[in-house]
Amino acid sequence: MLEIKDLTLHYSGSQILNGVTMNAAQGQVTCVMGTNGGGKTSLMKAISGTHARSGGSVRFDGADLPKLPAHKLAQMGIGYVPQGRMIFPLLTVRENLETGLACLPQAERKIPDRIFEMFPVLKEMENRRGGDLSGGQQQQLAIGRALITRPKLLLMDAPTEGIQPNIIQLIGQVIQQLRDEGEMAIILVEQYFDFAFDLADQFYVLKRGEAVFSTSKAQATRDEVQAAFSL
Amino acid sequence: MSTLLEVQGVSVTFDGFRAINNLSFEIGATELRAVIGPNGAGKTTFMDIVTGKTRPDEGTVRWGDLGHSLLSMSEAKIAQAGIGRKFQRPTVFEDQSVYDNLRVALKKPRGPLAAIFDKTSDADGARIAEIAEEIGLADQIQRQAGILSHGQKQWLEIGMLLAQDPKLLLVDEPAAGMTTEEREHTTALLKRLAENHAVVVVEHDMEFVRRLDCRVTVLHEGSVLAEGSLNHVMADDRVIEVYLGR
Amino acid sequence: MSIFIKNRSVPVFIGLLILFALGVTVMSEAYGSGAISVSFTKVLGMTLCLCLAALAMDLVWGYCGILSLGHIDFFGLGGYVIGMWLMTARTEAVVRGNLAAQPIPPTESEISDATALQIFSVVGAEDWPWMWAASDSLFLSLLLIVAVPGLLALVFGWLAFRSRVTGVYLSILTQAMTLALSLYLFQNDTGLRGNNGLSGLQNIPGAEDIGQERISIWFFWASAVALGVTYIASAWLISSKFGNIIRGIRDDELRVRFLGYQVEGYKLFVFTLSGVMCGVAGALYYPQAGIINPDEIAPIASIYLAVWVAIGGRGRLYGAVIGAAVVSLLSTYFTGGRAPDIILGVIQIEWVDWWPVLLGLGFVLVTLFAPKGLGGLFDYIVRKAPAEPKAEDRI
Repeated sequence: MLEIKDLTLHYSGSQILNGVTMNAAQGQVTCVMGTNGGGKTSLMKAISGTHARSGGSVRFDGADLPKLPAHKLAQMGIGYVPQGRMIFPLLTVRENLETGLACLPQAERKIPDRIFEMFPVLKEMENRRGGDLSGGQQQQLAIGRALITRPKLLLMDAPTEGIQPNIIQLIGQVIQQLRDEGEMAIILVEQYFDFAFDLADQFYVLKRGEAVFSTSKAQATRDEVQAAFSL
Repeated sequence: MSTLLEVQGVSVTFDGFRAINNLSFEIGATELRAVIGPNGAGKTTFMDIVTGKTRPDEGTVRWGDLGHSLLSMSEAKIAQAGIGRKFQRPTVFEDQSVYDNLRVALKKPRGPLAAIFDKTSDADGARIAEIAEEIGLADQIQRQAGILSHGQKQWLEIGMLLAQDPKLLLVDEPAAGMTTEEREHTTALLKRLAENHAVVVVEHDMEFVRRLDCRVTVLHEGSVLAEGSLNHVMADDRVIEVYLGR
Repeated sequence: MSIFIKNRSVPVFIGLLILFALGVTVMSEAYGSGAISVSFTKVLGMTLCLCLAALAMDLVWGYCGILSLGHIDFFGLGGYVIGMWLMTARTEAVVRGNLAAQPIPPTESEISDATALQIFSVVGAEDWPWMWAASDSLFLSLLLIVAVPGLLALVFGWLAFRSRVTGVYLSILTQAMTLALSLYLFQNDTGLRGNNGLSGLQNIPGAEDIGQERISIWFFWASAVALGVTYIASAWLISSKFGNIIRGIRDDELRVRFLGYQVEGYKLFVFTLSGVMCGVAGALYYPQAGIINPDEIAPIASIYLAVWVAIGGRGRLYGAVIGAAVVSLLSTYFTGGRAPDIILGVIQIEWVDWWPVLLGLGFVLVTLFAPKGLGGLFDYIVRKAPAEPKAEDRI
């Protein structure tokens, strides 16, 4: 689904990504881990178009992808759940979800029931303002909102950060379900090793803006991956 | 061990929502305590009350040997009294360098005139360098804080807390954004600090809490649901139901 | 002084200021070729005073985040205080001269009465208002240039900051303060001659024989010195820990509180200091302008001050100076009636009326394309490549 080659990115003169090469296949969870400042969030921003890449090539869904702005990429099927959730605090839960409908053709602009089946709490809190939700509820809302855009590629940046254990389990189940349906490619940026290892099919470790290690679950043991992750 | 902070029967309501409900909490001068609980249980609001950001509707908050009430003090006075806080979201001065952030936090006189004539002494400089080393930002010390990564900003905020050298450290989700190694480093740091400070840590990472090896308080819907060793609270059915999952 | 070593912009700015002052002197009527007329010398001197006011505004807004839209109040009060002394001393000298010809020498109180009559008859009064109590003493008046704006800033700031008013609400309050003051001054019985204002301020008592050529260039130098000294002092302040703290207050007030700093005290300090700086700027400006009236402290004037700093680049000291200099000189050019009108078919663009449109357009363009203002653009040109933001680049 996604093929990246030699991706570079700068923040006003400072180079953060030094040529990242990675692939994310459909129906798989690709996990990106690494130390702080390694470039994981910058990579997500580059893929989603939130921050323009400086160089390198990207192929998405079989076609070359030029440097497009984020809203165009969202319409093309790249969904993004950013670090920190970024819920619209003054909009209700329903309104937050509805913002995802902009990516769909007019006739299909309706919140699918499936979102509420996945995250029942969103139905309960439908008319509460986004800012009144707890962290765990906001995270569910953020994922729901991204799913409404019918992404072919779902980018998730640190979805478990600051979330209580039982909601982490729920999120894990949702990711597994989405992966098993086989239609989406999922890229997961995580620092929480156990969560990431259990879900991922493919691993990359980013260090200083480059992918220094990559393997698939089939090829490496848990210890090997953990060792690479801590290097 | 004497009680450093004593919170008794505190309640606060926002727009009809009872965020804190008759909460009581105590911590000693050299104690490490973990506070866990569902998102929205009131952990952050609890810290807001202790640090003076939110005034409770009822209850008392007493500090130190003399039992001063913190409720009549401004946030700055409470911080000067020796309570330092690291926020859930990295709250550092993004426009300024790592060095300047640490310098501003350093425990020195807080008045405007003192600030105008402040000279960073050799001892100050050494302390800043020491902290920068501890938080892993020694080679980034002149960098603008705003371009640090999320995890690095967390570390910077921890560094600022260390620089403040408070008597009570309120640390809200320190593990967020950290690698496994960094989490181990942080638990070691917090345990070391608890040897001569009071440290309250809010966290969701149960492994992290386990390594802290301390008393655990579980908050739920604004009051204390359970308290005790980690094994004790993890075995509690109510805690499993509202928080841990099966 | 380490301030000169650590920050390149300070010696560069001072150097340019000195060169500018020398250049003007060499072309002035009093000491040079006369290429620059007396009235233009005054325009340049006044511009330097406006740059000083912009510097004060940058300190309080660009560095501390307090958008005060009432700073011209302090500027005007400084002008009124010095104006009172100037008018009193000069009128008294004239009166003394007139009455000296009388057979019986006039008493001091007769001179005083005659002076008062001369000054206040225009508003139908003949007694000294209480405000003019210190107007016969140069020493006291000089003190009041600092004390009056300072006191207003202190009281207003104390009330506003301790009630934790911030952001837009604070700006509205400052506009209210400005409006209240200008309305108060418009009234004839306030004691400052209502909308007649104070006039003839270019006539310096004791300097009757010295022509305007020299007086104008001396005031120009004084304005340049005031700007230079204040620039250095501001740079010194900003590079101290105090500067870090007020920038912290601008960006995250709560964080600063939680570090144990009493934010209100810091805000009050900066606000009052900035008010005093404006007062001094005003005291130098109005003798060059020759007249001061309540129109000068209309609410719009303070907004212009904010616009100059925004266009020049706030959070940079030389940005504020560039903004004030460029925009106010352009404003003088376009509204002075000398800019040629542009005829586009049936529409005739008269710059006197169209200047605000140009200013507004300039403001929008700067916001869109040069968010760091002209100062930022200048940085970009000088440095060529946009470098990683360096933490020391704050002056």
